[in-house]
Amino acid sequence: MRTFCLVVASTVAAVALTGCGAGDSQPIGSPLPPTDAAEVLALLESTTQPVIINVWASWCIPCRSEAPLLERAHAQFGDDVRFLGVNVADTQDGARRFIAEFGLSFENLFDAPRSVPAALGGSGVPLTYFFAPGGELVHFQPGVIDERTLALQLDELLQRRGGS
Amino acid sequence: MEFTLLWAAATGVALALLIAQVEKRWGLIPSETGSLSDLIVGAAVAGLLTGRLAAMIITGTNPLTHPADILIVRGGVDTGFASLGALTFVAVAARRNLPPTIDALGPPALAGLAGWHAGCLYRGACLGTGSSLPWAVAQEGSNVARHPVEIYAALLFLAAAALVLWWLRRGVRWVGAAGATALGMAGAIRLATESMRPSLGPGPVGWYLAAIATGIIGIVGARARARSLPR
Repeated sequence: MRTFCLVVASTVAAVALTGCGAGDSQPIGSPLPPTDAAEVLALLESTTQPVIINVWASWCIPCRSEAPLLERAHAQFGDDVRFLGVNVADTQDGARRFIAEFGLSFENLFDAPRSVPAALGGSGVPLTYFFAPGGELVHFQPGVIDERTLALQLDELLQRRGGS
Repeated sequence: MEFTLLWAAATGVALALLIAQVEKRWGLIPSETGSLSDLIVGAAVAGLLTGRLAAMIITGTNPLTHPADILIVRGGVDTGFASLGALTFVAVAARRNLPPTIDALGPPALAGLAGWHAGCLYRGACLGTGSSLPWAVAQEGSNVARHPVEIYAALLFLAAAALVLWWLRRGVRWVGAAGATALGMAGAIRLATESMRPSLGPGPVGWYLAAIATGIIGIVGARARARSLPR
């Protein structure tokens, strides 16, 4: 037991030393454009690219976990797949701080009344929807998304597009 | 909240404990080792914690300012650091009797990894890259058939666990070699299946190669140690 405590204490100490640099002091950007369900549904119907919609809020702890993953996926697949963040039940300030903290470079829209997830089907945050061109829902991920699921569904979107 | 990864971890620990019980019944655990079950549970917790903390730091989240994020295991567990955390725990906890202890830990660890990979069934995450093989599986509503890669990994880990267990039962001449072989096999199995796993990067290939190299060094070291001991 003493050994176990020692290992845990060492890990926490190492984390403390390496994690001290990560701060929340990035400058915050411009306000997010407001959106609603009708606008997003129209976008999905008219798109010729696969679309990933991630519904998030700045106060949501799991959203923090997946934000860096989504940014990494966007950096890698952003040319072939459209990434769209929809901020819900939040404030403009909170949303902008979150985007600045994680350096999110994909498009984010503001939907305080949660009309988009209500129309797409889903409650709570985070939610991630994978749409084929034309708006066909390929996969819906309620809750936090992990790297494997994200990579698999991205591959599915790209393979379907390639095969069609 | 998403608990399926924790279920996968629980399945892995349960399988490891089961194999440890088999070893105990067959008298394969050295008396100086103490409780193998405590070591397994401790290593699993240390591995999960270290891997999660590492994943958070790597992705830029400070665990000190956001401690609740540690619990969001699905947000990511770094495989390499998780393995390092588990191995460090074992090395420290069993330091007085390390070589025979790692031999005894080999089969439960491999079986535990089999359980962890089979845990993909809970979360619908067994599928990998596209395949035209007859047993390839498509996800619901899709016509893209894929390798059930995590099932391959689970079966390979189970076979490896059975092999090392059989070796232990026959008697290991070079103490520590069975544990080192288990480590090398774990790296090799992950490496062999990695190309079938969709991922956002190259995957932790370096860690797998390090595990294989450490396993080989361990076997050579065990052999040298056995030869240096008076008969």
